[in-house]
Amino acid sequence: VIRYAATLLLAALVVEAYAEVRARDDRGQEVALATPARRIVSLAPHATELLFAAGAGEHIVGAVRGSNHPPAARGIPVVGDAHALDLERIVMLDPDLVVTWPYTTPAQVERLKGRGIPVFTTDPATLDGIATNIERLGALAGSSGVAATAAARFRDVIGKATADVSGARVRVFYQIWGTPLFTVGEHHLITQAIHACGGTNVFGTLPIAAPQVSVEAVIAARPDTIVAGADGAAKPPWLDDWQRWREVPAVRDNLLQVVDADRLHRPGPRFAEGMADLCAAIAKARAVRTR
Amino acid sequence: LRSDRKGTRSTDALMRAPLTLSRTLCVLSLLAIASLAAFAVALASGSVAVSTRDIVNALVDSTRSESIAVVRELRLPRALAAFAVGALLATAGALMQVLLRNPLADPYVLGISGGAAVGALTALMLGIGAIVGPAAFAGALLSTLIVFVLARTDAERAAWAPTRLLLTGIVVAAGWGAMIALLLTLAPAAQVKGMVYWLLGDLAGASHSALAFIALGVTLVASLALARDLNAMARGDLDAASLGVSVPRISVVLHLLAALATAAAVTTAGSIGFVGLIVPHAMRLAIGNDQRLLLPASAIAGGTLLIIADTAARTVAAPYELPVGVLTALIGVPAFLWLLNRGR
Repeated sequence: VIRYAATLLLAALVVEAYAEVRARDDRGQEVALATPARRIVSLAPHATELLFAAGAGEHIVGAVRGSNHPPAARGIPVVGDAHALDLERIVMLDPDLVVTWPYTTPAQVERLKGRGIPVFTTDPATLDGIATNIERLGALAGSSGVAATAAARFRDVIGKATADVSGARVRVFYQIWGTPLFTVGEHHLITQAIHACGGTNVFGTLPIAAPQVSVEAVIAARPDTIVAGADGAAKPPWLDDWQRWREVPAVRDNLLQVVDADRLHRPGPRFAEGMADLCAAIAKARAVRTR
Repeated sequence: LRSDRKGTRSTDALMRAPLTLSRTLCVLSLLAIASLAAFAVALASGSVAVSTRDIVNALVDSTRSESIAVVRELRLPRALAAFAVGALLATAGALMQVLLRNPLADPYVLGISGGAAVGALTALMLGIGAIVGPAAFAGALLSTLIVFVLARTDAERAAWAPTRLLLTGIVVAAGWGAMIALLLTLAPAAQVKGMVYWLLGDLAGASHSALAFIALGVTLVASLALARDLNAMARGDLDAASLGVSVPRISVVLHLLAALATAAAVTTAGSIGFVGLIVPHAMRLAIGNDQRLLLPASAIAGGTLLIIADTAARTVAAPYELPVGVLTALIGVPAFLWLLNRGR
């Protein structure tokens, strides 16, 4: 048994030493592959998008339910959803890289790790972390060139969106859902995006990622604009519930706005475009305030 | 079972205190004062600062300003809904405890909330938000009907064995639980948040409480008309039968009344736990087991507890909203334990 273990350890060391591609994931763990990944399983919808942006889309052999973007991702065999993975199917796919995030059944992902499958965890904590994720996944898939271009474009879109945010900070209430009334708190990427766009999230100091707040708390917070995140930027019916609170600046100045949640609620490559829309909404409120 | 018998004996002692008109009025007016005080606190508490004058204006005047609107359109409807739901749950709990002769019975034990949840969640999953209330109500009534039909033993004797009714209800409730899990798994991601929220039970979205108040009125009036028979039933089927009470007939009416009350409560605010189990027991410990006083007292006390709990839920951690079920337990558990142990 000891000899067997020693051989395994030696083999692991050899692979480590001769690894052709390597990258650190958002957990700070080094992922090393002997050859660029050719059979990738993606366990988060935004991870699928990141992989496509990094030039590795054609190497995805399995993806979690909800991987609906880009359109090419819809044809990938489904290997489970956020509640449960089909581990047998994943093992049968013989992946050489699994890309996951902290919210897909961690216990099942641990079992994949236990089988020696390399796992890359994506959980960007900052806006630039999304671009870094694209670069790192590109490195693991041997498509660094494509990934570098995509990352540069991502940074460029954000750079342009936040180029001119001078003037007073706009007080923003960002609404995820009508009933219950959910918003975003401290550390959330959207709170960071609001700040970068020259706004202040009125609940940006709450230490929970998605806090539930009361209608009264929103009224008392006096937001200059209320921005609702809705799929496809279709105006959600609950946004007009605010209309009767005329004394709130956002309602008085007709600044109930909608942005595309599908882009902005995923830490993927389309976050940049979503953020550009968010910055535009905040800029509109700033223009009304300074008028 | 032994503790149950012991409890019955000690409440018997309390019941020996005659239920005079003055005692009834005294207990009910004390509770009414407590509930009015809870209303006042609920109307005065929140993130927006409102002057006492505006609170009064919100109730008597038709002018509109922001602070008046906050009281009239946010705090008042929510306090009214909390009172109605708390009163319904406490009444339903008291009725269920008589019906099943089981101290662990609560409004949800026979699967009524499970049926309501399956109805509401199906409507939410299909994206038809407008029919969530009716669907919940229909689900609650369907569940009641299923248990009602299955738990009938011999049609000839129509003997309603409480154990059989309880077991049937618990199994039906387990079936609903499985369907809830299935619906949550199959639902599109966009709908899941709203569905989970409905399950937790919350008064933030409860703006219409007219149905709840009508159901409360019907339940209270009908069960008070039966209160003498219920008193006999609480002593056991044999005692009741020897006093000329038709136990099977009363059982059917009891079941329907408790179902109506629970369905109305769950339709208004989801399945808020704890109130229906503890408030009737607490009232029994405090004032005895005479249903003529116990039922209205439980209703007022349940309503008051839920107003206090909901006001705390939206203010103690403001701007967060806490789940009201957590607060009902945090306030109710110590109060109940104190009542249970004060005689020692």
